[in-house]
Amino acid sequence: MTAPTAGPDLARTDDIEWAVRLLAATPTHESRDPQLLRRWALAADAFGAALAPVACTARIVERDGGLAQGLLARYRSRPPTVELYTDTLALAERVVDERGWRTWYPPGSVRAAALAHEAVHAHLHHGPARTALKRTLGHTALRLGRWQVPGHVAGAEEVAAHAYARTVCGLGRSPLLLTAALAAATGDDRARTARREN
Amino acid sequence: MGVVILVVMAAGVAAMLTRRIPTAFALVILAVAIALLAGAPLTGENSVLDTVLQEGAPALAATMVAIILGSWLGRLLDETGIAGTLVRKIVEFGGDRPTVVALGVLAVSALVGTVTGSAPAAMLAGIIGIPAMIAVGVPKVTAAGTVLMGIAVGAPFELPVWQFFSTALNLPIPTVRGFMVKLFPFALAAALAYVVIETRRRGTEHTWSLKSVPARPRSRREQLGDAPWYALLAPVVPLVLALGLEVAIVPSLLAGVGYALVTTTRPHEMNKRLLRTLYGGFEVAAPPIALFVAIGILLAAVKLPGAVDALQPLVKAVSPDNPVLFVLVFTLLVPLCLYRGPLNVFGLGAGIAGVLIATGIYPAAAVLGMATSYNQVFGVADPTSTQTVWSAQYAGVTPQQVMIRTLPYVWVVALGGLCVTAALYL
Repeated sequence: MTAPTAGPDLARTDDIEWAVRLLAATPTHESRDPQLLRRWALAADAFGAALAPVACTARIVERDGGLAQGLLARYRSRPPTVELYTDTLALAERVVDERGWRTWYPPGSVRAAALAHEAVHAHLHHGPARTALKRTLGHTALRLGRWQVPGHVAGAEEVAAHAYARTVCGLGRSPLLLTAALAAATGDDRARTARREN
Repeated sequence: MGVVILVVMAAGVAAMLTRRIPTAFALVILAVAIALLAGAPLTGENSVLDTVLQEGAPALAATMVAIILGSWLGRLLDETGIAGTLVRKIVEFGGDRPTVVALGVLAVSALVGTVTGSAPAAMLAGIIGIPAMIAVGVPKVTAAGTVLMGIAVGAPFELPVWQFFSTALNLPIPTVRGFMVKLFPFALAAALAYVVIETRRRGTEHTWSLKSVPARPRSRREQLGDAPWYALLAPVVPLVLALGLEVAIVPSLLAGVGYALVTTTRPHEMNKRLLRTLYGGFEVAAPPIALFVAIGILLAAVKLPGAVDALQPLVKAVSPDNPVLFVLVFTLLVPLCLYRGPLNVFGLGAGIAGVLIATGIYPAAAVLGMATSYNQVFGVADPTSTQTVWSAQYAGVTPQQVMIRTLPYVWVVALGGLCVTAALYL
């Protein structure tokens, strides 16, 4: 893969580190050991990358107003709908060009990645894959002797969805890198704070 | 003269609604105006200066102390990580089922709501609870409403509120406690219905957000460890003492403070932490204390003989005697406690409650039932109340969206409370 010609600061951070940062910014992980977060990020990334292709069966709606809300795409389960924010997608394509990341994110790949990302949310929402992800992460919420209650890792599903999108869309880098670049491009200081949504 | 006093009250409501004057200041101005219109002398017995201002200002002192202690305990729950740990555990146990997580945050909010109220309660439960719910797919409006409905579940057991109604309505604590216990099931049922119905009706939501990845790694200094499991019982301690063992409110709250401290803090750090959280508690308690000073002054004004004589015929003429009419009329009037309206008991509603009791139109216990029923509504749905504004904005929605979604549920709670009131006291 050819190295990008612009935006070296963000690109220097590897995909797993972006996933670690996403987890660290997720509420409930404030006191976690960074090494544990890295292990979870690696596990969730591998889980997402290994997922079999999932068809997006939800209704697809394209609309404006993503930049105002700080959103690129949204999945709603009732009724199953994927909303794609065209203004944010357009900005994403511009950012890719400006930073010289076209080899990593080919034309139209951001839209495809958004669809793939939200398809995984739908897949995890409705199917048994959610339990499989929990098992892969191996977090224990409660242990009483041999009896263990597996714990949910908030944010892991998001990491898996990004890894899946990267794999099925053949992207050179994780969509998380592009997300960080978009946050920088929109000058959104809130991206630096702990609050997140997925 | 009664009509003139009512016109002045209406002007006061308008001033509060339009936010020309802060509520506490408006109530004091209103009290002085009512006293002057009622023919009270400047000094002496039943006077403006000696009775309304001097005796009225500290009339709710016991409530203010309870508020300070509740706020102190709230700061301790925050600083020691007890509130945050409760939410984290809930997400770990139920995180792949958004409804379970929302029910868990509802339970934490209810616990916090028994300790302290208003925006500090919303912040204690919501700072981690709201983004945690959003992170597992609960829609934003539902997430904000869940915290508010949870606080409202705890409100019937909020000890400073018991003290307030006891002092303001001149009722013994056991009477207040007895009614609150009867109000609680309605609040609980409505809150559970809200979470279950709204999470099912709206489903889950996941967004690819531009805010999801911070540009820099999180600083270790911001991090706070988990509190030990036995410390998580701290919010329950005052409740068990006051409700189960009938211990007085101030010692119950102090016991909660002591328990939270001992279970989370090393001995050599205790003094420093106690002082720091106590002073922090004063900051949190400042707005409600200012309001309670003003409410005490207003109550003293509407209880003046001249005010009672002027208002009695008017209020009696419009107040229904029939229990069914009582329920119907006061249920329809529920929206009047929103937007700092005239039935907001932490505003002019306290004055109206005082008038209803002083004029002997309803027994004090019936007024308690009415006021606490309204308290359940504006504590959740009033778009001008600090906890609603904070929760909505923190979730990224408007307070009006939260009001529209939660009002049907809390209106039913008010109906339930008014039915119990009519059945028991009319």
